[in-house]
Amino acid sequence: MLPYLLRRTLSLFFVLFGLAILIFVIARIVPGDPARIALGPLATAQQVAELRADMGLDQPFLAQLGTYLAGLVQGDLGTSLLTSRPVLDDILAALPATVELALFTILLQISLSIPLGVLAAVYRNTWVDTVTRVVSLIGVVTPGFVLAIILQLLASYTVTIFPVTGRIDPSLGFAADVTGLLLVDGLIAGRLDVVGDALRHLILPSLSLAAAGIGQVMRITRAAMIEVAGRDFVEAARAYGIPERVVTFRYMLRVAAVAPLTILGLEFASLIGNAFIVEFVFSWPGIASYGVRTILQKDLNAVIGVVLVSGLFFVVANLIIDILLGFLDPRHRLQLGARD
Amino acid sequence: MTPPSSLSDANGHRTLTARQMAWYRFSRNPAALIGAAIVVSVVIAALFAPWLAPSPESAGSLVDFRNRHSPPDWDNWMGTDNVGRDIFSRVLFGYQVSLGMVIGVLGVAVPFGVLLGLVAGYFGGWVETVIMRFTDVMLALPPLAMALAITAVLSPNIVNAMIAITLLWWTWHTRLIYRIVKAQMNEDYVEAAKVAGASHTHILFQELLPNCVAAVAVKVSLDAGFVILFGAALSFLGLGAQPPTPDLGTMVSTGSEYLPEFWWQALMPGLAILYAILGFNLLGDGLRDMLDVEL
Amino acid sequence: MSQPLLQVAGLTIGFTTYGQRRRVLHDVSFRVHVGERAALIGQSGSGKTVTMRAIIGTLPMPPAHIDAGSIRYDGRSLLDLTKAERNRLKGTGISIVLQDPLLSFNPVLTIGRQMDDIVHFADLRQGRSRSGTDRRALILETLAKVQLVDGTRILDAYPMMLSGGMRQRVLIGMALLNRPRLLIADEPGTALDVTTQAEILALLNRLVTEDGLSLLLITHNLGVVREMADHVHVMEHGRIVEAGPRDAIFTRHSHPYTRRLMAAVPPLYGEAVRTTQNHRDGPALIALDGVCKDFMLRGGLFNRITSRYRAVADVTLRIQPGDIFGIAGESGSGKTTLAKLLLGLTRASAGSIRIDGRDLKEFAGTEAFRRLIQIVYQNPGSSLNPRRTVAQQLAVPLRFTGHEGTAIPQRVAALLEMVDLPRTYASMYPHELSGGQKQRVAIARALSVNPRILVLDEPTSALDVLVQATVIDLLHRLRTELDLTFLFISHDLSLMRNFCNRVAVMLRGQVCEQGPTAEVFARPKHPYTRALLSAIPVLSEAEAALKPQVTQAERDAVLATTTALIPADGNPQDRNA
Repeated sequence: MLPYLLRRTLSLFFVLFGLAILIFVIARIVPGDPARIALGPLATAQQVAELRADMGLDQPFLAQLGTYLAGLVQGDLGTSLLTSRPVLDDILAALPATVELALFTILLQISLSIPLGVLAAVYRNTWVDTVTRVVSLIGVVTPGFVLAIILQLLASYTVTIFPVTGRIDPSLGFAADVTGLLLVDGLIAGRLDVVGDALRHLILPSLSLAAAGIGQVMRITRAAMIEVAGRDFVEAARAYGIPERVVTFRYMLRVAAVAPLTILGLEFASLIGNAFIVEFVFSWPGIASYGVRTILQKDLNAVIGVVLVSGLFFVVANLIIDILLGFLDPRHRLQLGARD
Repeated sequence: MTPPSSLSDANGHRTLTARQMAWYRFSRNPAALIGAAIVVSVVIAALFAPWLAPSPESAGSLVDFRNRHSPPDWDNWMGTDNVGRDIFSRVLFGYQVSLGMVIGVLGVAVPFGVLLGLVAGYFGGWVETVIMRFTDVMLALPPLAMALAITAVLSPNIVNAMIAITLLWWTWHTRLIYRIVKAQMNEDYVEAAKVAGASHTHILFQELLPNCVAAVAVKVSLDAGFVILFGAALSFLGLGAQPPTPDLGTMVSTGSEYLPEFWWQALMPGLAILYAILGFNLLGDGLRDMLDVEL
Repeated sequence: MSQPLLQVAGLTIGFTTYGQRRRVLHDVSFRVHVGERAALIGQSGSGKTVTMRAIIGTLPMPPAHIDAGSIRYDGRSLLDLTKAERNRLKGTGISIVLQDPLLSFNPVLTIGRQMDDIVHFADLRQGRSRSGTDRRALILETLAKVQLVDGTRILDAYPMMLSGGMRQRVLIGMALLNRPRLLIADEPGTALDVTTQAEILALLNRLVTEDGLSLLLITHNLGVVREMADHVHVMEHGRIVEAGPRDAIFTRHSHPYTRRLMAAVPPLYGEAVRTTQNHRDGPALIALDGVCKDFMLRGGLFNRITSRYRAVADVTLRIQPGDIFGIAGESGSGKTTLAKLLLGLTRASAGSIRIDGRDLKEFAGTEAFRRLIQIVYQNPGSSLNPRRTVAQQLAVPLRFTGHEGTAIPQRVAALLEMVDLPRTYASMYPHELSGGQKQRVAIARALSVNPRILVLDEPTSALDVLVQATVIDLLHRLRTELDLTFLFISHDLSLMRNFCNRVAVMLRGQVCEQGPTAEVFARPKHPYTRALLSAIPVLSEAEAALKPQVTQAERDAVLATTTALIPADGNPQDRNA
């Protein structure tokens, strides 16, 4: 198990390193002068030249890359032109809101999609299957922002208990200063009112965010379960008299779960992407909101930082999934016949 | 000489050809048929928008303040927007923009991605390592965030949005084709072609590619829906098509300023997007069952 | 006679697929008495597997539907039992051993976990309770019964860590855990090497005698039937066409299908054996001298070379023009690697290969080389591209050897004629052809550029025995007509005895014995050759008597053990396959 973990971690660091270089290159090869873009058309040539020197843009390309990577290793992402603060500080401030949203969304996805997928496969070609498949289809085809708007409409007309903006009611006067996660800090402080309010705020954004993944993973789970159901060992287990319930969960799901978990990891990239829209619509104070603002302001340092952190999210999520798969399937960690 | 064994078996039953079985699966799949119908309706709407639209001039920057914010009725099936334009007409023209984007993006991204996947899977070695590691890195980029960043820097308009989406889209096709080619490399027919002296070009495009076509067809159908979604998301954030272009995402974005009172202005184009994506998805799923491919 | 343990009467089963109903079993009736070994024999598609599934209750319904008939076990009608009653019989009354020893295991659970589940849930159904330690003792005892000595280590292993022979043993153990009275064995040992298969068959026979088990054997192999069954039922197209005691079936069969089946099995010894001759002298067409091939195994953190594995070791051979030279060996013996070396698809690590007097290194991959040597693969399902028509596939070698324009379709038509296929097949896709027809297309492709040598890599092992005979006849004819030299790679020694004029036997990369076929088979010198020959199931007592004798000590010296664990990094042969 240990060499397996080491190898996975190493390869993910490689991806992260490649990502950093790629983003830097993209940011530098796009037409236009970043300093000019940042300052806008009204700035004087001298202002632009000063900013260029300040940002190190007058150095040769490779030297810029070197400085940037060296800074990155020390956690220095440069200074935001929008807020004039270190980008890292800005991101760290906005991070808990996004982490809370993402974790809650993932939780929602796993706890809904896999059981529903199993249900659909077990009751294949019955009304249960039809209903679950329609639900999954709706999840897949509804754009996040359309779903967000529909949920907001519902929340303002009918189910009015769910707030449509922000993370928490400011009148509660609660500052999450331990982990930054309202649910966790609220529990630590014993403030159940805070936990309840934070949950009510979380429901709509995380539902808009989770829908696509739920649909996708549900489909994959169903397909994988049906595929596994046709394998010899399932017939053997049944013929040896193992009860259906145990065949389904211990024998089939453990093998079938590989596919949906892998997809869940890959889908994480689009989840982060969709967070940009959902945070925007629900005025959620996370890094995606920060990202949209800095993108609109052409604040390159901040944009690079946000994309890198998103990449880090993705890489870590996939590492966790890989570890999970290693536990689930011995072929993964023994790398016998299961190398891709 | 006996007739080919596949036409009838020993008990005299007629055996179906693969094509007949595929068509049987497709025609017994109501979802697939609905999907096909939706896709056809969207294509027709886009092609004939100028003739089908009740108010073709609504596509542009028409202003008719007497009719603004009129709810859906017999004259304006989807109501009118904040300057009095017929939303239904704008949706029809919006499909032109959406489908144009689909063709532009997939027309470039799919051939490119397929080619890279073929090359990586067939040649192996360092070619494979370079291409697939690069693909891995690209996949780690949150697509929407990257597209946002690229369009923002390039200045937001529809062409730049398409460029941004295209830059990110090829990776999925590379992965898919790579996997199919890798599986094929275990089949003897690839080695048989080598033994027969076939060139690399022959093996890549005549032996390997035909076995990828079904999967690509399914993926393209599913993708078409997601490109529409993606483009709409970009313009929703103001980074795609700019007003007064009748773009569905922009329409939702503008409409959301008038929520919840004039709900139809945001909801109707939103549902129109959903309708198109639904069609392409159902069609793709139907094709997947019919062609029996795994993605 | 007493009441039969299993009685199938008038069983008629249909399937509905793509809106069409088709009947796959017609009025199938047979019985298995207590302590009896019954066999259902038939080619693929004869309905024997459907029958088995109907008996154990794993037939998917729909699409299957039982139209008529009954299955009675110990006097009770299985088809009328409730689901719970039926489940109670599973594993305890009737148990099965499925065909593929690897696929029959759940890949992500340890052997111990899977075996414990079987005992545990049987206990629950029977209302018994047993502690985990007791169950473990029972499992270890059962493993000992299937002659697995390393019990405790096997329980902690995952299925992929066991060799094929061990998996098959564990599988039999699993079926026996709850002391069933009837064991159904689906092609036992077929997926294994012949020496391992012989051990498995002996084990099953011993269990029947010692434990009073009844056995229902499902197989396509007549030799296996002769060694394993008291009563034989021959199935064809969903019907039992002939049934009777074993000796009656083997000596006095009357149905034409049974006769054809018997005739299609190549004899190993006796008067019916055909001996192929080739008396041409002169320079060897193919000369191998001290050929070795090493594979590097990579692994670890940085994909370093961790070990090397010698697939072909110091092989020296001479093949004369007109020879049908057989290379015999079990899986992993290096025979396929040898074929790849000859075709220039992989380079020898040491030694020299000369074909037609020229060094292979100098001209492998050239047009002249391709006009000299071509290959026919084992499985035409894999060697033909599913998305290309017969004509397109036959044209590939032609296009890359300077043929153009109308010469190509003309040659394609001629080739189809040469392998006895109608010209109209040119426009068909592989899935429209039967297995035998596909292999004919593959042979035609190999012959398209008029090569002088054909490498035949198990060309008939994916085919039913009846089809195999026709393909072998075709190869004989082509050899005479076109003056071909064959290198025939196979694990089927009976077939080689009748087809090849010379053979070489390979063991772990080395040629351990070679010579004229008749001589090697009559007086095998190497103990491995003797072990191989003695393991082959044959069709008559007279033939069996002619097989060479091999002592247990000799066997143990040359055969890999199937009763102890292999290292966790797997079988190197599998990786290079």
